[in-house]
Amino acid sequence: MANSALSLIDVDAFYGDSHVLEKVSLTCGEGCLLGLLGRNGAGKSTCMNVTVGLLPARRGKVTVFGEDVTKLAPEAISARGVALVPQGRRIFKSLTVRENLIVAARKPTNGGKAAWNLDTVFAMFPRLGERRSQMSAHLSGGEQQMLAIGRALMANPRVLLMDEPSEGLAPQIVAEVMATIRHLKASGLSIVLVEQNPKLVFDIADDIVILNSGQVAVTAPAADLRDGTADLRQHLGVF
Amino acid sequence: MLRYIGFEEARLLAISSFAYGGLLFLLSSGFSLIFGLMRIPNLMHGSFFMLGAYFGVSMLEKGLTTDALKAIPKIGGAFNFLPSFTILPPNFFLIAIISGLLVAGIGALVERYLLRRLNGQELPQVLLTLGLSFVIADLCLMIWTGDPWQPATPAELRGVVQFGTLFFPLYRVAIIGIAVVIAVALWLMVDWTRLGAMIRAGVDDPQIARVCGIKVSQLFTLVFALGAGLAAFGGVVGAPYLSVYPGLDADMLPLALIVVILGGTGSLLGALVGSFLIGLLYNFGQAMVPDLSYVILFLPMLLVLVLRPQGLFGRSIP
Ligand SMILES: Nc1ncnc2c1ncn2[C@@H]1O[C@H](COP(=O)(O)OP(=O)(O)OP(=O)(O)O)[C@@H](O)[C@H]1O
Ligand SMILES: [Mg+2]
Repeated sequence: MANSALSLIDVDAFYGDSHVLEKVSLTCGEGCLLGLLGRNGAGKSTCMNVTVGLLPARRGKVTVFGEDVTKLAPEAISARGVALVPQGRRIFKSLTVRENLIVAARKPTNGGKAAWNLDTVFAMFPRLGERRSQMSAHLSGGEQQMLAIGRALMANPRVLLMDEPSEGLAPQIVAEVMATIRHLKASGLSIVLVEQNPKLVFDIADDIVILNSGQVAVTAPAADLRDGTADLRQHLGVF
Repeated sequence: MLRYIGFEEARLLAISSFAYGGLLFLLSSGFSLIFGLMRIPNLMHGSFFMLGAYFGVSMLEKGLTTDALKAIPKIGGAFNFLPSFTILPPNFFLIAIISGLLVAGIGALVERYLLRRLNGQELPQVLLTLGLSFVIADLCLMIWTGDPWQPATPAELRGVVQFGTLFFPLYRVAIIGIAVVIAVALWLMVDWTRLGAMIRAGVDDPQIARVCGIKVSQLFTLVFALGAGLAAFGGVVGAPYLSVYPGLDADMLPLALIVVILGGTGSLLGALVGSFLIGLLYNFGQAMVPDLSYVILFLPMLLVLVLRPQGLFGRSIP
């Protein structure tokens, strides 16, 4: 496998007393797309929270391009090139579209040329460009999702985490979002895509991890799983 | 009970009202930012005002000299090792700015090391800031004694200015000008700069803001320090007018509260309009119905609380 862009190694995490992640290990290779699947409450978003530093890992380790970031604050992890498109989008509602993007702007971690800025984000999502001065609260769900993706890209990340970007969107918009993800992957970005729906992930992912009740149930190359989805039902619920 | 006033008196009262309103804005804009953005009910805001005023008048006496530092009762001995020289000349606005910076530093320490521990807990925040205001009041009494202290109006601001056929006291006009300039600067900063957008993002969703790389904690310290510094600056600018005395803090704090309730929390425009409104009510109320001047001051606040709880310009808090 390529070098690891992001790894969780034997991570245990708790909300208060409830043990939510148990010895979770997963790896997203450089330039690869890791699909993270699991049913409601399996612990997918918790993995994201641990990765970006919002929830401390009680045991285990998180590394970004080999560097240990387990104990770092969210701001510091962001500076190491990790960006998140959070579940539920969580755009800054009292900011305009443009402000949502500029507050997250950052030069690339490796000091290279900034691939993402206002112009390139607006070129990718023309509708955001048209609404740049609007309050972001007034955007449609699909537009808010694009804004959340654009905001994450403004940081010029090396690893992009996307937590259920298709949630609550019309099929046509979901297709647009998936096309965007494909495009980003083709540009060489390392991506972790969290989904509940395996159909969306199987043909773009390189690897798949399935969580079940806070534990890793399956880790496999996506190619191995594409044909025999039947035996995954027990982990994913019925689709 | 009602006393009638003539045009000339009304004109002077009006200019005093706006000058007083300008001071109130310097006091309450910071209070409004701190409460509106960080949800901290900062009951030591009057103390920042008074502390700034005391720092200012002490330095105004002879400028800031090392001899003056050595003469501070009880703690002055710590400066004995310094040779005698003048650190700052007694320039009024320079000293107002320095006092603002000093108190901003104190505010930053209070926020970072005390208030930060009480994140989101309003009652403990009220108790802490109220307690600190008592501590500061006592320390001021110890250092500056109980005598009121009124510095002279700065020499360059004595005299009058002429608008058309009317003459106005220059110093009061200057206070109004300063308040308006600061209001515009604050508005530009909060609403039109990246820094302001980052602060608002940190208010909207602190967790995601941090994940986006925004140093929310530092920004909040900055906002608190800015509010404290503005109040202190206002304290110095207002000293030739209000004078400085024990209890100035407790006199000013309720005024900041009324202004912010009237104008709406977190709204700078609200703080500006509220300040001028309270300035007018206070001055005209005292001149025309002296027996009821406090009723006139607090009645509008009660009406606003009942009829429009978010304040005249406040956004209703979701
Ligand atoms: N802030 C929290 N406090 C306490 N428990 C939480 C919290 N957030 C999540 N949990 C619990 O942790 C478990 C894992 O939640 P998580 O959000 O990671 O699931 P998920 O896989 O992202 O689910 P979904 O697909 O619904 O988003 C769930 O049992 C959930 O109830
Ligand atoms: Mg989730």
